[in-house]
Amino acid sequence: MQKLYIFLLVFCQMCFLKIADVGADFSLEEEVTAMKSQMSVMQGKIDVLERKVYSQEDKIIEQQTQKHAYERRIQELESQSTQQPQAPVAPSMPSRVPGTKWIPDIGAVADVVLTVDHAKTDDEGGNRISLRELELVLGSNVDPYSRLDATVSFSDSEEPSLEEAYLTRFGLPLETTARIGKFLPKVGKVLGVHRDSLDTVDEPLVITKFFGAEGMSKSGFDLTKMVNIPWPITHQLTFGVLEGGNGEDGTAFGTARKRPTLYAHLKNYFDMSDRTGLEVGFSPMFGSKDEGANLDVRVLGVDATLVHHLSANQDLKFQAEAFNLDRKKTIDDEGNSLGGNFWGTYGLVDFRFHPQWATGFRYDYVEPVDNPADNPKSMDMGYTGYLAFHQSEFARWRLQYTHTDLSTGKGDDTVYLQGTFAIGEHKHKLQ
Amino acid sequence: MKSIMIKRLPYLFFLGVLFLFSMSPERVMAAEKPLEIVATQALFADLVKQVGQDKVDVRAIASPKFNIHFIQPRPSDVRDVTQADLYVNAGLDLEAWSDPLLEAVGRPQLFRRGERNLDLSSGIRLLKVPDHPVTRAEGDIHLFGNPHFQMNPENARIMVRVISEKLKEIDPVNASYYEENAKVFLGRLDRKIAEWKSLCAHCVGKEIISYHDDIVYFADFLGLKADQELEPKPGIPPTPKHFQFLEDYVKEHQVKAIVLPTYFSRSTAEKLAKRIGAKVATICQNVGEAPGTDDFFSFFDYNFKQISEALQ
Ligand SMILES: [Zn+2]
Repeated sequence: MQKLYIFLLVFCQMCFLKIADVGADFSLEEEVTAMKSQMSVMQGKIDVLERKVYSQEDKIIEQQTQKHAYERRIQELESQSTQQPQAPVAPSMPSRVPGTKWIPDIGAVADVVLTVDHAKTDDEGGNRISLRELELVLGSNVDPYSRLDATVSFSDSEEPSLEEAYLTRFGLPLETTARIGKFLPKVGKVLGVHRDSLDTVDEPLVITKFFGAEGMSKSGFDLTKMVNIPWPITHQLTFGVLEGGNGEDGTAFGTARKRPTLYAHLKNYFDMSDRTGLEVGFSPMFGSKDEGANLDVRVLGVDATLVHHLSANQDLKFQAEAFNLDRKKTIDDEGNSLGGNFWGTYGLVDFRFHPQWATGFRYDYVEPVDNPADNPKSMDMGYTGYLAFHQSEFARWRLQYTHTDLSTGKGDDTVYLQGTFAIGEHKHKLQ
Repeated sequence: MKSIMIKRLPYLFFLGVLFLFSMSPERVMAAEKPLEIVATQALFADLVKQVGQDKVDVRAIASPKFNIHFIQPRPSDVRDVTQADLYVNAGLDLEAWSDPLLEAVGRPQLFRRGERNLDLSSGIRLLKVPDHPVTRAEGDIHLFGNPHFQMNPENARIMVRVISEKLKEIDPVNASYYEENAKVFLGRLDRKIAEWKSLCAHCVGKEIISYHDDIVYFADFLGLKADQELEPKPGIPPTPKHFQFLEDYVKEHQVKAIVLPTYFSRSTAEKLAKRIGAKVATICQNVGEAPGTDDFFSFFDYNFKQISEALQ
């Protein structure tokens, strides 16, 4: 204690001497200016230090961000290295996981249908269960501007067939996207989608009778772009040139592939509210019968879809399409009149009343093209009801009953039980 | 006359199509015009707004009232993204609909990893990253780790940083403006995080069950245990068998609350809650999902109040 006291005393004395020393040489005023300048120098130093602290803080955050990114990369690599001995085959992760980037997205959709058919016709009908279709879907980016998609269809009753194979080229001038290859034309609401996106087991009658049993997938090219007409209505325009012909058993155009079909689709969409959207589309098509290439077969399609979200888990959808087919009238050797003006339409209501359950009804009407003169009626009509159960996002069951009244005077009652299952990459193209 | 008109119809059609094609969307970058930004969900949109303020026009695609995993983008969304200067999303597989949407838009710079695609999962420490090859036997989603990372307010530090860096990059003229707004946000966030932690101090170590596996980051922040969900696997709807499993589970675990956002079935949660004697609490997944959750801070105020009361 005494030592400390002595130390303090000596220290104070020294300080005093020093100040007295300074006082002897400079006046008080000069002293203040000197201190002021010292302070400003120190202020500058503080500023510099402050800036350093800020930049260090930024660096720390940046490094933390980097650290997390590295941690993730390590996790990914670790999971890969643990995967490799167990899974020498292609990993099940999509192509965006590092290390698998050259493997395209692969998916498969199986469509199994049990049909109980009380046909009042002679040669058709009967009960059967069949793997109606197994679609193998492949797709990946080709380069930063384009993507290749292909769909191959297998079934237990038909030869494998190439349903689609086309290149999509993004980012063309005027913000246009192009497709080239074999694809489903963007006409209306049903022709442009795969079967597994339909609300019913089968396509509407107007689609099967006019265009083909599974719609029509054709080689050609098309261009799509948003049209800039101001808000609030959204317009999208597609224009395409396709090879001639129809889908399987379709009757709209001739069968010659060298007679091209031109088509366009103008989609108009309006958000009526947060929960309700209305879409109206127009689809003109110009094609030819085999005898001439003068684009004398004209189809005009109109479609309307209203979707209303009642709640997060309940949706109501109304969808209708109508097609008018106009073709020059001719009389064949047996005196039957071929061609003319025909109408076909369908209307569908779909109600998803539960996250997993949906039900709906479809009405069909179509005037058959090339109808023999002795047929008692000039139209086919159909009534369809269904109930769908979504077991999960990738497995769906559907029970459907369809009654048809055909132009031949015959009727048909069919019950379907359908299971649709998807594996691998399964993303629906946006409609 | 009529027949000539009909003969010329295909050519008229051609001309009409050409005319419409020439009407290109204008996307001019005028100096005073705010940046057009589209975010996938409302919380991201709010974070962008906090940083960009008057210099950005931002909207969200998904309504907060719906499950973000299963949104169906509309043609108006395609149009908005087509005209956007920036697309903000969670990446991973939160928005499974994002790739088809971007393909419909067809602008390569907006695609995944494109310079105008801002993936907010970058820099986030992900939870539940699979450590083995996964199949859908384990559920539909969450292939890359749990994508519901916005539920931890700490992650907003990283997201806001990333947003401000991106805005500075595409709009360097206003760089200091974005920097300043981000600083203000982060300062406020620090204070709020302290407030939330103290409000929920009593929750630490307690266990909850959530409807979907969307609560892990929230639980991580509060020190809660959240190992079980009403869904047997992500995206797979609850089953009676799984209900039985959960009833047996809670016999050995103290579960005080079942939490879910507004768009899942509350009655399902209440049924289990009744059987196990727990409370049901709404924990929103997005800004604007419940009344009074209009921005990032009020959203978390709401959620922490809910959980604090449920675990009282
Ligand atoms: Zn999820």
